Amino acid sequence: MSEYTVLGKSVPRVDALEKVTGAAQYGGDVHLPGMLHGKFIRSKHAHAKILNIDTSEAEKLPGVRAIITQDDVESGRRVFATDKVLYLGEPIAAVAATDPDVAEEAADLVKIEYEVLPAVQDVMEAIQPEAPHLHSDDTKDGPARRVLRTELRKLERDDSQDHSARIAELNAQMEELADEVYYNVSAETHSDAGDVEQGFAESDLVVEDTYVIPRVHQTYMEPHVSVADVESTGKVTVWASTQGPFAIRSGIAGTLGIPLNQINVIATTMGGGFGGRFGVALTHVPAVLLSQKTGRPVKIQMTREEEFTDGRPAPGCVIKLKTGVKNDGTILAREGLAFWDSGSVSGASIGSTIRLRGVYKFPHLKVDAYGVYTNKSGTAAYRAPGTPQVAFAGESQLDDIARKLNLDPVEFRLKNMRVEGDPVPAGPNEPKVGYKETLQAVADAVDWKNRTKGPNQGWGVAIGDWTNGCGPGGMFVSIHEDGSARIFHGSMDITGTDTALAQIVAEILTLPYDEVTISRGDTNSAPYATGSGGSVVTFTMGNTAKLAAEDTRRRLLELAAERLNTDVESLELKDGQVSTIVADPPKSIGFGELAAYSLSTTGGPIVGKGSFARKPSTPALAAQIAKVEIDPETGRIKVLKMASSQDVGFAINPMAVEGQIEGGTVQGYAWATMEEMQYDEGGNVNPGFVDYRVPTTADLPTVQSVIVEVEAPDGPFGAKGVGEPPITPTLATMANAVADAVDIRITELPMKPEKVVDALHGNGK
Amino acid sequence: MKKHPVSLTVNTDTYDLLIEPRKTLLATLRDTIGLTGTKEGCSTGDCGACTVIVDGKAVTSCMMLGVSANDKEITTIEGLASRDQLHPIQQAFMDKGGYQCGFCTPGFIVASKAFLDENPNATEAEIRHALGNNICRCTGYTKIIEAVMSAAEVMRNS
Amino acid sequence: MRNFEFFEPETIEEASDLLTKYNGTAELLAGGTDLIIEMKARTAMPEHVISLEKIPGLTGIDYDEESGLRIGALTKMRTLENDPIIRERYTALAEGAGEVGGVQIRHLATIGGNISHGSPAADTAAPLLALGAQVKITSADGERTVPIETFFVGPGQTVLKTGEIVTAFECPARSANQGSQYIKQKIREVMDLAFVGVAASATADNGAVSDVKIGLSAVAPTPLRATDAEAIVNGNSLTTELLQQAAAAASAQSSPISDLRCSAEHRREMVGVLTRRTLQAAVDRAQG
Repeated sequence: MSEYTVLGKSVPRVDALEKVTGAAQYGGDVHLPGMLHGKFIRSKHAHAKILNIDTSEAEKLPGVRAIITQDDVESGRRVFATDKVLYLGEPIAAVAATDPDVAEEAADLVKIEYEVLPAVQDVMEAIQPEAPHLHSDDTKDGPARRVLRTELRKLERDDSQDHSARIAELNAQMEELADEVYYNVSAETHSDAGDVEQGFAESDLVVEDTYVIPRVHQTYMEPHVSVADVESTGKVTVWASTQGPFAIRSGIAGTLGIPLNQINVIATTMGGGFGGRFGVALTHVPAVLLSQKTGRPVKIQMTREEEFTDGRPAPGCVIKLKTGVKNDGTILAREGLAFWDSGSVSGASIGSTIRLRGVYKFPHLKVDAYGVYTNKSGTAAYRAPGTPQVAFAGESQLDDIARKLNLDPVEFRLKNMRVEGDPVPAGPNEPKVGYKETLQAVADAVDWKNRTKGPNQGWGVAIGDWTNGCGPGGMFVSIHEDGSARIFHGSMDITGTDTALAQIVAEILTLPYDEVTISRGDTNSAPYATGSGGSVVTFTMGNTAKLAAEDTRRRLLELAAERLNTDVESLELKDGQVSTIVADPPKSIGFGELAAYSLSTTGGPIVGKGSFARKPSTPALAAQIAKVEIDPETGRIKVLKMASSQDVGFAINPMAVEGQIEGGTVQGYAWATMEEMQYDEGGNVNPGFVDYRVPTTADLPTVQSVIVEVEAPDGPFGAKGVGEPPITPTLATMANAVADAVDIRITELPMKPEKVVDALHGNGK
Repeated sequence: MKKHPVSLTVNTDTYDLLIEPRKTLLATLRDTIGLTGTKEGCSTGDCGACTVIVDGKAVTSCMMLGVSANDKEITTIEGLASRDQLHPIQQAFMDKGGYQCGFCTPGFIVASKAFLDENPNATEAEIRHALGNNICRCTGYTKIIEAVMSAAEVMRNS
Repeated sequence: MRNFEFFEPETIEEASDLLTKYNGTAELLAGGTDLIIEMKARTAMPEHVISLEKIPGLTGIDYDEESGLRIGALTKMRTLENDPIIRERYTALAEGAGEVGGVQIRHLATIGGNISHGSPAADTAAPLLALGAQVKITSADGERTVPIETFFVGPGQTVLKTGEIVTAFECPARSANQGSQYIKQKIREVMDLAFVGVAASATADNGAVSDVKIGLSAVAPTPLRATDAEAIVNGNSLTTELLQQAAAAASAQSSPISDLRCSAEHRREMVGVLTRRTLQAAVDRAQG
């Protein structure tokens, strides 16, 4: 991509200086005069009736300024638990005091009487009739009953002939499927293509397994925090560490019945999100309520423990999977049934179950998925939500199939991958995609064909697919009298997206990278921007930046044509100037001069506008290969090599892209080997970094990132969303490497040493 | 409860303060002195975001009481760069892309400085082992390690 | 954190008197890496916190070929980990100290705190058991010495009586034909608590092995010696078969629990594996 001067270059990020010097202001760094500190009073049980809340002792503590419960929420929207708590750590009240330690003491003094109820934490137990029913006694049909009921309904509506015999038969069959009556179902999705029964019948080999993937926490390093300041006029200002300031604004407005134009959300620098930092409920709304009540600014900062008990992590799930193939390795059919542990509210990720189809040609596919209530906190997005879980199941099973058929796992995958124009089961046909290129690239990077291994060493390969989201965004680009450009917008940057936007604008305006600066406005000042999640920012705001820069260029050309007494068509932008294309004699004029001139024109200052909502996204693939060594006695897994390729369309900033690939890969590694939120009937039992382990510098070697560029037709300069794909394959990559090393198949994550040792014993070792 | 007078030398300045004994060094730096570059990520000593250097040794400031830091010399992220020049480790984190969200970055840079000051010839394995008290969730560590290795070389040559 | 009164006594007697005076509401502060966590979590809510930092003579490492090793109770883990004599002669202790938390924690945490806290999983406990350590305990009433084997009473419980403070650890002098090792079962390479910790020490004696001591942590209510395994090895030359027997004996002598980290069965199995490995390494190191 050498035709570009700024794009495709690993320039340092626009926020580099403030981040390496400690100057960047995060949510917790906001300190206002007279600010109070809020703390939550949280449920001590996983499931209980609240009999009484007594705040009288706490109110007497010097320094306490307010204690609020659901009674203080005038809109009536649920902010705190009232009659019943559904998980350990659910907020019941909040206190504001002059000092965080005083607020904590006050929280201790609030007395809550409970009647403890039985709780259910296991998703497969929760669907049983004897489980406590969290929200209602309603039931849903399992996949087979659902098919029967569909026919039953059809026949019952048909008066043209007598179906009573068939109806009786169907009813009897449904009776027999009593174990397919599911309780505590929060959501369901179903899709199918072809006829799986036929597909399995035609298969030479059919494999069935059950996979269990644990709930994990996004573990952004900055816990949730917000500062709210409600003025006596009712105007609300919230400093929020969030992926989506505009969503926070509408969330506060909707929850508390405050007019949107009375709320300003100032998004601070954010200490990571990964999908877990969108919600309005955790700290923002309670902070506003406490500030309303006290008339003082209030900061609520969650502790790490609160993050684990009351964050919104990624759901765990149980996936039953069946795949049929021919002996030559042609995949024919797949049937998947997933139960997602949604926690106490209807949750995220269930829609990703369809990704069990991977990027393979499945003539026959059937996928059923259920979200299930349990006594845990609700869930939210985590980097390609739902996909790492289903890719673990799908890619583990394919690996077993390759082994059984004695096929090379890379060749086997390449053989079955879809290419442009191929039908996608239960979806539109493939656009231009780079699946095969991406897998081949990682295989080449590790010299797959010539790989070698020592004792207890193994190689694992897996892939994961994802399509970036898209959303609305607006942006302005203005030209200053010194000839430099400034971008003004309202989208959040974590991964380096502001840098990519600056590169795009610099490229189009032919300016050096450091002549483009970028500012983020608050929700009062900046045009709307979609939230920073779903790998949308570079795609959406990149397209917006392109439009805004092109608009700026148009205005520069118009002004230059005026000044140079020529027409727009004979001019071009070159090296930060507007110049004649055919130079005889050469004429040019600087942006600075044009900016100064513009101030006296009827058209006014140079402000380019970009406004964008939607264009088709293109699927991206991530492919990984790991080499591991197992200590067969202790079960510890050591990663010797980790290579990760990804089709990014076009790498606007290769260094930032590599950073995404490396970071996502390591998060996937951790999910595979160590991360797991553990629960007993009382709730989460590992709410801290001692027993919820995330990897450190010492746990794995350098990740070898391999950038593949198969242009996305509608991405800015061909770019695709980059952030999410790299986490998708790693769970299976690791499991497949372990399988290759010591011939064990672990279907329940994480692969802690004990699990590896037990599996080896199960194999007679 | 009785507050205690303490005298903390932070970077170049000495602060004479009266603090509650329950306030950690981290809280004292952030809330009392107003140096917010040092971050609180876990408050249990496990993530290293709050790393500062006390009398030459990197410590997690959430695990030290402010009163225990009395009469000690403390270096925070704000004290690393001189007026017109970044510390080589800061420069390397910029150039190598050794950060993303940046929340762990001050802790990583400060921990790296303390370690490299004592171990200028550290190998990659030694650096990876020594920085284990700092958690980064964004980078996967590859670029952090590259940055520290390259800074070590710059520091050795200067 | 609840508020508390903070004291910085300058003598052991003064500290002991404060402990006695505020019996039941006072905690000693050494490195703070256990106490501060507990105070934040409200599992410790002392009204009085007594810092030991200003008391002279509580830090430092002294070695003498006659009297052996003396380690002040306030010596930091990081100091132990890097000390040349400890690395060479008391290797298991350097390794144990180096397994505590990360570098920043080891700059704070002290060996006295690690042991006095009474955790069955303390990383320095198994090495001190294997190295035959004595615990020096001082109070206003005087000083006493307790072998490390009898120091631990139960989870979080030690023989320390009201007003008593651990001031030092002493280990017999060691020579070049002695070796030791500490290994723990963990998930992460660093920053992990011991699922199982095993330390072994041995003297190489003309082909035979003598003076074998094996310390186990995280596999019983207290850290303990694997005396049955020691007896199997002592006086014999190390063979694969002998190692297997010792491993089995150590497993049998452990009485682990199942918890969120792993099952009792896994712990018992790992005691065997790590006993075998540390014994072999200790002997290899003893033989130079």
